Amino acid sequence: MYLGALAGGVVVAFALASAASAQTGPLVTADWLRENLDNPDVRIFEVSVDTGVYERGHIPGAVHLNWHTDLVDPVQRDIASKEDFQETLRAAGVTPETTIALYGDNNNWFAAWGAWVFDVYGLGDQVAMLDGGRKLWEARGLPLDTETPSYQASSIEIADRNTALRARLSDVLDAAEGRADAHLVDIRSPDEYSGKIFAPEGVKELSVRAGHVPGAENVPWSKAVNEDGTYKSPDELKALYAEVGIDGSKPIITYCRIGERSSHTWFALKRILGYDARNYDGSWTEYGNSVGVPVVNLAGTVWTGK
Amino acid sequence: MTEIVATRTAGVSPSRVLIGAAVLFGLGVWAWMLYGGDGASRALSFSLIAGVAFGIVLQRGRFCFFCNFRDFWNERDPRGVLSILVALAVGLVLYHVVFLAWMPVPAPDRLPPGAHIGPVSPVLALAAFAFGLGMAISNSCISAHLYRLGEGSATAPFALIGAAAGFVIGFATWNPLFLSVISEWPATWLPHRLGYTGTVAISLAALGLLTILVLGLACVQPASRAEPQTLVNVGRRVFIERWPAAITGIAVGVISMVAYFRVAPLGVTAELGSLARTAASGAGFLPETLYGLDGLRGCATAVKQAIFSDNGLFVIGLVLGSFSAALVAGQFAPTPPTRSQIARGLVGGVLMGWGAMIALGCTVGVLLSGIHAGALAGWVFLVFCVVGTAVGIELVRRLTKAPAS
Repeated sequence: MYLGALAGGVVVAFALASAASAQTGPLVTADWLRENLDNPDVRIFEVSVDTGVYERGHIPGAVHLNWHTDLVDPVQRDIASKEDFQETLRAAGVTPETTIALYGDNNNWFAAWGAWVFDVYGLGDQVAMLDGGRKLWEARGLPLDTETPSYQASSIEIADRNTALRARLSDVLDAAEGRADAHLVDIRSPDEYSGKIFAPEGVKELSVRAGHVPGAENVPWSKAVNEDGTYKSPDELKALYAEVGIDGSKPIITYCRIGERSSHTWFALKRILGYDARNYDGSWTEYGNSVGVPVVNLAGTVWTGK
Repeated sequence: MTEIVATRTAGVSPSRVLIGAAVLFGLGVWAWMLYGGDGASRALSFSLIAGVAFGIVLQRGRFCFFCNFRDFWNERDPRGVLSILVALAVGLVLYHVVFLAWMPVPAPDRLPPGAHIGPVSPVLALAAFAFGLGMAISNSCISAHLYRLGEGSATAPFALIGAAAGFVIGFATWNPLFLSVISEWPATWLPHRLGYTGTVAISLAALGLLTILVLGLACVQPASRAEPQTLVNVGRRVFIERWPAAITGIAVGVISMVAYFRVAPLGVTAELGSLARTAASGAGFLPETLYGLDGLRGCATAVKQAIFSDNGLFVIGLVLGSFSAALVAGQFAPTPPTRSQIARGLVGGVLMGWGAMIALGCTVGVLLSGIHAGALAGWVFLVFCVVGTAVGIELVRRLTKAPAS
């Protein structure tokens, strides 16, 4: 009896492990990832922003993606160039068959940014995010490793940028001024949205105007997650965005301050719900500094140059 | 032999031993309570324990950069300087073990996370010189003042107040120094130039040469007594007598690596600097932005956001760990300060505070953690700090002799 149960467990575990390379959907659970730590067709990437977090303990086998250098262009404000990003993926041994699992600190914000960049370069179908991110992995006491792994390099060729996933200032202006029929979602805190403050506590003020883009709905990113940091169920997410009239019938543009928290909501709308959503990575630090664009500032806070 | 043992252990007071043990136990309970199951609280808890261990080692080994140098300079007693050289060698090797795991190849555009690898410029040399001068005037470096605080030192509080003031002067002078000099100079990491093997080999060779030099100049030490390993003898050597140089050096090197591996490189001035910066910013004394500081590696200081920081708890642990060790050893001896102690503490403290702010750390943060990490800045600090200390010792000797002659 006992042996039978054990054998059954082994069979189930084996079935789970061998299913790894198949399509996983947009999210994977911590249990799934734990089962697939040794699966050669799964490559895990950590995108953490706090210094030294990855080195002092990461999910075994995970490769570090540095947000400041690997996912963005370090000189001009842009996502990483195709050549650089391709080089990063080749060094990590990613092939067209690899299932890519992303996770990170800070509620997966930057991992979600990573998921968006992967998607822009045509790898969206291969990418899944660890639901709950590093926080949940740690809270469950799952193993961490300090060894930096090395993999046999691949020769993957990635696609050109898919501009349909990225909103630029002109797209946002078209939506704000009624030339395009699109929903805008501002995922910042209510105080940033209303213009009471320029930037969240502890963050440098980088825009010279407060407020939001005309017509934008305020749905703070945190409303999309449960207490433990995992995304709410698709039905709950659907209801959350339907409350502000977003049901997927029109294209959606998400934005925040610098474009990373909005990737988290973009991921919910695009990858989990399958809506037509674009991320505006210029976000408020571009829009709120642009000359002559319409702004709604409910609080009336005036920038004084200090 | 038994008579010596009897007189030496006569100083041990059971009540002090009990209080010392209770302090240690309390620190353990505090560390346990700090842990809340997440990474941030784990770092706080660990920092407190690492601070306690460091404080005990500093007190038991009398690991004081200045006194060790002075003992050698004045008396040709090599023990303290040897413990520093051992600490540098052990930490250097252990740090590179960590580097090999974290960054198997020292890629040209990357630095190991958090390691203290600061810019090397003439300003660093000047700051290290000022720090050495300040050590000689106040009779200790900042880390030793912290552990001496735990021994009830009369000078230490004034030196720390002076250092806080020195930090404020440092903040006020940082921007012009950074823009005109520091920003033009690179943060040289030796493994970028020499590889890991070359860095370890050349650094160990340099430390070996210094060891030969020190032992060559040393006065002859009395041979150590061979005594039976009884409980009383061993207890006395652990809890009362000064630890041997090699043991102290190895312990410091190991704690340095363990602290870097788990939380952050050893440093004792970040919290002091943060307190000074928070207070002075609140009073409107300082420029709002200190250029480049957030991008540089070292004991960088930020305006405080939370009551307890990793470095704050490390320093609290250091002082209380030293306090418990000093109590047990019968070396906790608070005395009222003399005028000269107050003046020397304040003046030396200001020089050390300014030097530590501008150099992005002190003898621990730049010299120890820097050399361990393969930072050229650590070696530059070592050279100019020694020069400053030697000049300071001679200066103090002349000034204090003057009235008598």
